[in-house]
Amino acid sequence: MKKYIRIVLQICILYLFSFLGTFVVEMLHIKFPGSIVGLLLLLGCLHLKIISVQVIKEGAGFLLGILALFFIPSTVGVMNYPELMSINGILLVLSVIISTVLTILITGKLCQYLEGRKAGEEEAQ
Amino acid sequence: MIAISMMIGTIVIFLLMRKLNARFSTPLLLPVLTATILIIILLKSFSLSYATYMTGAKWIDAMLGPAVVSMAYPLYAQRHIIKQNMFSILTSVVIAMLSGLVSIIVFAKLLNLSNDYILSLLPKSITTPIAMQISEAIGGFPSLTAVFVIIAGITGALLGPSIFKIARIEKAVSRGISLGSASHGIGVSKLTEYGEKALSMGTVSMTLSAIIGAFIGPVFALFFH
Repeated sequence: MKKYIRIVLQICILYLFSFLGTFVVEMLHIKFPGSIVGLLLLLGCLHLKIISVQVIKEGAGFLLGILALFFIPSTVGVMNYPELMSINGILLVLSVIISTVLTILITGKLCQYLEGRKAGEEEAQ
Repeated sequence: MIAISMMIGTIVIFLLMRKLNARFSTPLLLPVLTATILIIILLKSFSLSYATYMTGAKWIDAMLGPAVVSMAYPLYAQRHIIKQNMFSILTSVVIAMLSGLVSIIVFAKLLNLSNDYILSLLPKSITTPIAMQISEAIGGFPSLTAVFVIIAGITGALLGPSIFKIARIEKAVSRGISLGSASHGIGVSKLTEYGEKALSMGTVSMTLSAIIGAFIGPVFALFFH
């Protein structure tokens, strides 16, 4: 029981960061996701040891464990876009697939090259 | 009453679909995918609108913000890996973001898509919760973005292994970074097969890619307003 209360309290802290992030973005009138500001704020607080990892660890673990649940309300929203079930919709899906394949290919090759160069430099020293 | 049943129904269906996926593990039975399809079929058969569904589901949606904030934890826990591989990770993640953006814009232009669609497509390589928030911030449709993100994820999980073989991408680090930054969490789940190092690289680059994307996305979005 104690564990669950701890998780709920930790989620409240995470919620507070998310709220703060959204508040900052609204104050500054910028086009930027508030939750990322919250993420960066929390990262900063952890790094500067303002708050300890223990304070959010279990709550964060719990939320990340069921992460996919939180985007179902949005994905169900595709029911309002029946045009996805057309020739154009299929071409659109195909573009996403090809673009993703290209991205994996380019990134994997580049990264392998960078890693190889790093290993070469270490050997030369 | 309807609101509460929408909320509880979503949670129950999600948990059931997760059980199903645990038994038959394939990216095609991803819980988000199966739960979404099942919920849409149920809503359609009872002639309920998305707006009605959201009266209850909005409480689940409200947890998205704190869930995104939670990602600070794994990132912080893996800070040593990031420090050790700073240059390759950052360079690759930025290049991945740019190649994803440029290629999808080229295709979108060839298909003559409207700006709203292009804006919804831009965050497709970023992990769903953050992609939807970026989409909303730049003026896209978060629901469409979520669908494109899931397609990008499944593509990576299904085709990643063949791409690695054909292009001879053999190092664990390169496999982790490329799948993490092109196909986010769904792609990363495939990395368990390539060992601990590939997996942690994937998780780290997924999160970094989301943060970098939140900065680069709005810049690209300026061209489509």
